Parts: sequence; structure tokens; C-alpha cells
Amino acid sequence: MTVITISRGSKSMGTAVADQVAETLGYECLSRAVLLEASEQYDIPEIKLAKAMQDAPSILERLGHRKHSYVACVQSALARHVARDDIVYHGYAGHMLLKNVSHVVKVRIVAGMEHRVSIVMHQESLSEADAFHYIQKMDKGRQKWTKSLYGVDPTDVTLYDLVLNVPRFGMEDAADLICRSARLKQFASTPDSKRDMADLVLACEVKAALVEEHPDVAVTSKSGNVLVYSAAGDRHGRKVRSQVESLCQSIDGINNIEVHVGAAAPESAV
Amino acid sequence: MDALNLDMILVLVTIAVAVFLFIVEWIRIDVVAILIMVALPLMGLVTPKEAFCGLSSNAVVSIIAVIIIGAGLDKTGLVNNLVTPVLRVAGNSTSRIITAISVTVAGISSFMQNIGAAALFLPAIQRVSKKLKIPMSKLLMPIGFSAILGGTMTLVGCSPLILLNDLMAQFNLKPFGLFDVTPIGAALVFSGITCFILLGRWILPKTETDEAEPKAGSEASDDGDTAADIYELRTPKDYTHYREPVTVGDLRERYLVNVVAIVEPPDYKIVAPPSTMQVHSGVSVGVFGPKDAIERLAKEEDLELMPQLEVFAEELTDQESGTVEAVVAPRSDLVGRTLKELEFDARYQVTPISLGRQDETYLSDIANMPLRVGDVLELHGTWKRLQYLHQGGSLLFTMPVEIEELKKDKAVFAGFWLAVALIMVIVFKINLSVCLMTGALGMIVTRVITIDDAYHAVDWRTVFLLAGLIPLGMATEKTGTAAWIANGVLQGIGPTSPIVLIGVIALLATFFTLVISNVGATVLLVPLAINMAKASGLDPRMAALAVGLATSNSFILPTHQVNALYMGPGGYRSTDFMKAGVVMSVLFLVVMVTMMSVLYGI
Repeated sequence: MTVITISRGSKSMGTAVADQVAETLGYECLSRAVLLEASEQYDIPEIKLAKAMQDAPSILERLGHRKHSYVACVQSALARHVARDDIVYHGYAGHMLLKNVSHVVKVRIVAGMEHRVSIVMHQESLSEADAFHYIQKMDKGRQKWTKSLYGVDPTDVTLYDLVLNVPRFGMEDAADLICRSARLKQFASTPDSKRDMADLVLACEVKAALVEEHPDVAVTSKSGNVLVYSAAGDRHGRKVRSQVESLCQSIDGINNIEVHVGAAAPESAV
Repeated sequence: MDALNLDMILVLVTIAVAVFLFIVEWIRIDVVAILIMVALPLMGLVTPKEAFCGLSSNAVVSIIAVIIIGAGLDKTGLVNNLVTPVLRVAGNSTSRIITAISVTVAGISSFMQNIGAAALFLPAIQRVSKKLKIPMSKLLMPIGFSAILGGTMTLVGCSPLILLNDLMAQFNLKPFGLFDVTPIGAALVFSGITCFILLGRWILPKTETDEAEPKAGSEASDDGDTAADIYELRTPKDYTHYREPVTVGDLRERYLVNVVAIVEPPDYKIVAPPSTMQVHSGVSVGVFGPKDAIERLAKEEDLELMPQLEVFAEELTDQESGTVEAVVAPRSDLVGRTLKELEFDARYQVTPISLGRQDETYLSDIANMPLRVGDVLELHGTWKRLQYLHQGGSLLFTMPVEIEELKKDKAVFAGFWLAVALIMVIVFKINLSVCLMTGALGMIVTRVITIDDAYHAVDWRTVFLLAGLIPLGMATEKTGTAAWIANGVLQGIGPTSPIVLIGVIALLATFFTLVISNVGATVLLVPLAINMAKASGLDPRMAALAVGLATSNSFILPTHQVNALYMGPGGYRSTDFMKAGVVMSVLFLVVMVTMMSVLYGI
């Protein structure tokens, strides 16, 4: 009963490794399906969600906060889906969203630039120089996206439990290593980790419900006690408070909900 | 008009610097006062003896005695015990609540510091607001204004009036008696309350819940399951064998209840355990919270809920420990800091239960909320620990609590000595500071309050603010600066009737009290007003009285301590104070001048 998130640089064989791991463990392999689910649940065109999950928000978009809203919807769909357990997720920033859940193995797949360039040259019929620029552009885009949403560099190895240079291991052995890690007792789900996951799902749902009206909120939940942190001033905070109750009315599992205005949100908040 | 000489220029520069520093608040106002106290003799504007005569003035001695008497009354629970009966009288109607609490607060603040009276009812008002769904903003401002107005009901109600006789002494004017101002003060309180009852809906800030009618007769906290209490739970012998470690903080986060004590066999006992403490197998846990939450905790964590307190039957009895509500004071060092930063649990060994702010009660993650003026902390701990926290002075304790050293049996003595002081003033016409100090001393001798507690209770900032500014008033008069300004003002306004002159003086006092402190305004304006009165044939005592009263006309800006205290909980903006404050200030001036005219025939 484990969840595996695989973060990958472009053309690092991450998708193939994820498929292999899912097949070996009998887990569901999940990537873009999350976008579909979010699209259905929140009635947002999938293409907009996909764009929000790929490109860092521009200055104008930051002012409009629309992209943050889309990302919150995808996060909510992802959290709900992975709460079912036995999942290999290799979409965007799963490791960031699920960082505080103990039964999640966070894997980073890397490959040397030479190897990646050769794949791009072969797949895209590009010259070596063009392939190099292509990869650099993709990497920078992902770095920018993660930085803008989570304030971290996705290449920071401390974010992961396992970092694998796949061409060095070979795909089979890399997948095998991940599977063995997933079977370790420290990654097995426990009542506490399940509770954490349920709280994450709840926090994501609340955030998705609020983010359109209040893009600056951050949400945590502990055993159904939801805390909404708002950076708004006191006057605006009153408005947030009055709206939170009505916006969250349809969400099940809330034991208590509070809005803290002006207090710094903890790192675990979504 | 005489020409300015060097001394007058120096006094004017000193006044300008003082006013500037009062406004910008780069330095605390009491430090500004001390600065003046030192600078004046150095410039040769007053003698060294005059510079420090403020410290031995009747005003300073009176305010020290008033504070000690107030602390004595507080110690016996006499004042705190008013809260419950007043709320009973207040009932469920907004007007009655405002009237009952305002009258009581005004009455208390006529003998105690205004801020203490205002803080006393804050938690109770929050509960009433929540229970009856009346916005805090509708209740707090009228009550806060009444606390300020109540200060005008006796000569010891506020610092300006305490100071008045001293400032008049250098002009050889007959001092005012303790209750000489009472009719005017009572009229001001009455008009203030009436104003809010009649015009409240227009001058108080509008809220989203304005349309909602108060729920008459509703008793929100009647439900036994939602009323918090202490329960005893036991962990099974194998509690930690089959689960991950659970800490005191985990239980709080998960169930919004508070572990207030843990007993581990054979003899380990801890009250207010730190949030990082693990809950072990086979221990007894004292938990404070609503019954439904406790039952949920017991069920989900597999704990045994005891039908009654057994292990904690002694440790957590009302005689040993309890819950209090404490308000973050306006000048508290807690403001802007979180309980976590302050290591509150470890330092005071009391458990923060909830935090009340505006009309919200917070239970989750309150340790990380930066504290604000007027926040109400509900705390649980032993009386000894709560007492220790109380002595720190950062929090105003307001509940009718059974704090360990609450000396109910001394209430008779406290009442007796207050009566003695009043009788000495009224019947024997003895000097006010002597009478008040007799009352204070009586309370110390009869052990209502210890001498150490008395020293601790004295607000030295107020003492030095008064003492430091008194020589400035003397220098203003002595150098002829007061007369010079007074003549200038009189020439500016031309020949005028006494009543208009009183109005002008009161208007000046109102303006000055808003930008500099009420004490500063009094010290600067009393000599000025007396000179103006002398020059125009008005009774100088009336001019001084107008200043003493009008410096309490501080409603337009939230600069008064009471307004600052209520601003946060009421969710007011400065514009809210301006709107209601302008109406109140105009009413204040009209009522004051009218009453002075009627009573003294001006």
C-alpha cells in the first residue's frame, strides 16, 4: 500500500521506468489522467489545465491568478486519486504535493545530457546543437514552473528519497530498485500516514473551492480540522471568513474550519 | 503684547519638540517626559528642585494611591464579581447590554484606570456577542467610550483631572473636590450612552450581519456537549505497542482539545505538559475540552474515558487550578509575537486553550498566531502559575477567577478602606492625595494587598509621564510663555463671552489630547487657559476645569488606550472612530459647556 511519485527531466526515460514499475508492482500508472479528472470535476477545459501544469505563470497571469486556480484543481484531483494507494504517478510535481505523506516514495530519474541529446536527436530529427537547446529550454521551463509554484528547484536532490541515473543502471534494474524501495516497511502506509493523506485530500479540496475567489489562501488540515491562512488584511480577511463557510459547505469531512488572517502559513500548507 | 525673550523661546522650542515627539512616537512618551524633566533645569528654565517636584506632587501621589486601591479591589474580586450580575441584568437586548455594561464600566473607571475597566468586560462582551449574534463592533465602541467618559465622573477618574489641582496650585486657585465634577461626568456618560442607543445604527460601522436580529433568549452554550470541562482519560497498557508515538500537540491538532496534565505511575506528574511530550502507555491524561470532542478522542485513540476525575481529583480541582481569560494589553510586550516564539508553555507552564479576536474564537494553531492588542487568551493552569503570569503584567486578567491569592475574605477591608478614603475627602476635606494614600496604606496594613504587589501594580510610565510634564507647565507659566500665548489667542479671537471662551478652550484641549497625550495637553493648556480666563474676566477655575474635562474628549482617533484596546476586537478602522468620534466629541463639548454653564453660572 504505497504511492510512488517519479519526477523526471525531459527525455530521461522516466515514463518507461514508471510503466515498468507499475507493471511489476501491479500498481496503477498515472499521469495525464489526473488532468482529465480535474477537467471533469471542476469543469475546466483540459487544455487549459495542461498549459497551467506546464508553463510558469507570466506576469499578467500572476496578476490574474487564473493559473494558480487551475493548478489547485489538478492538485485536488491528484490528491483524491492517489489516496486510493498503489499508484505510480509520473506527472508534474507530485513529489511536492505529497511531500509530507510518509507512504510516498519520491523518486527522481535523471540521465546525462549526452544521453538525452542523443534521444532528442533521434526522436525529433534535430541537430546536436538544436537538441541541446531543446532540452535546456524544457529543463528551464520546468524549473521555472516548480519555482513559481513551490519556491524550490526540482533538481534539488534533498526533495527525493531516491535519485537514479537510469542509463547507468539500465531501465530494468532502475525499476527493480524502485520496486524494492516501495516494499520497505518505512514506505508502508500506516493509520497515521493514511490520516495525513486524507487530510491532504481535504486541504486540496478546500483550496480548490476557495482559490478562484481568494488566490492567496493556503490550507492545512489535521484530522478534519481545516485551517485557511490568508495573507489578506483584516478587512479583506472578514470577507474571506464569511465566504469560506459557504464555499466549503458541500465538502465532506470538515470537523472544524478556521481562517487565520495575517499568520504565516506553515510549509505543509497547500 | 510683550516681546518674546530667550526663556520664552526656549520654552516654545521645548513644547514644539515635545509635541513633535508625542506625535511621531519615536521615543516612548514617558521617556519624552523624563527628557523634559532633565532638559528644563539644564536650560535654566526651572530650578532643579522645581524640575523634580512633579515626583512629590499631589497628582503623582494620588495616581499611585488610586492604582494601589484599584489593585486592592481587584485582589478581593470585588470588581470582577460585578461581571456576572451585570450580564444578568443586561439580558438579550442590544440596548440593554450596552446600557448595563456601559454604566458599570463608567462607574468603575471613575475610580480605577479606564483601561482596566474596559478590559474587565472584554471577554464577557465577546461571549455575549457570539451568543446573541450581535456584532462586536456594535457593542465595543459605546462601552469603550463610556469607560473614557466615566473617567470624568470623579477627580481621580483620569490623569488630567488628578493633575488639575496641582496645576492650579501655582495660581493659588481653590482646588476642586473629589465629586465636584460628578454631575458633569454623569451627564456626559448619560448623553454618550443615549447617543449610541439612538444614533448607533447610523454612526457605528455597518457589518454584514447587521440585518440579522439578535437571537433573543438563545442560549448557545447550554448544550452540555459543547461546554468545555476537564475529563480524565487512561491509555491502555499496550497503547504505544501498536501505534506511532502520539504527542500532546498531536491530540490538540487532531481533536482541538488540550492536555492539561499527565500522571504516569508510579509518581510522575506534570501540569501543562509541553506539546512535544509523548503520551505513554498506562498513564492518566487530564484533558480540557467539550465532551463531544473528548468522546471522539477516546474512541479514535482507544483511550478509556473515566466517568469522573479520579487521579486528578486533587490536582485539577477548582481550588488548585482553573481556566481564565486574559486580554493582551495595549503596551504589552506580547504584541506582534506568537506564543511559540515566546515559549509560552515552557515559560509559564499554562495551557493556551483558545484565542478570541474580534468575534471569532480560534482553536487551531493558535501558537503561531501573532498576538494583537485586545486578543483574549483562554488559559488553563494552576492558580499559582496563572498568578505568576498575571504578575508579568503583559496580560489583563478579566474573569471572575479563583486565582490562588484572590482574597475574598478581605473584600470587607477593601471596601472599608475605600470608604475611609472617601469619607476623609468628603467629610473632613483633607487633601486628596493624603486621603487616597491613607486608603492605600489601610489596604496594605490589613493585608488586602502586599506592599510588593502594591509596588508592582503601580504603572511607572504614567507616574513619570505626569511627573515629567509638570515642570513644563511650571516653566510655561514662570517664563511668561503661557500669558504670551494666551494673549495671542485672545487677540486672535477678539472680545468674546465667557461661555464662548470656555468652548474655545475645550476645543483646544480636544485637539491637543488627540495629537499629544491627555496629560501633555493638560499640562500645556491649564496655565494657558487660566491666563486667558484672567485676561478676559472668566473664572480661572472654570477654564482649568474645561481643560481637565475636555482632555478626555478623545474619540475621533484611536489614540486613547481604551480605543486602542477595543480597535482590534471590534474590527474598527480609524474611519470608524472618526465617524462616531466626531458625533461624540461634538456632543461632549455641548454637554460639558452646558453643564458648566448650568452648574457654575458661566
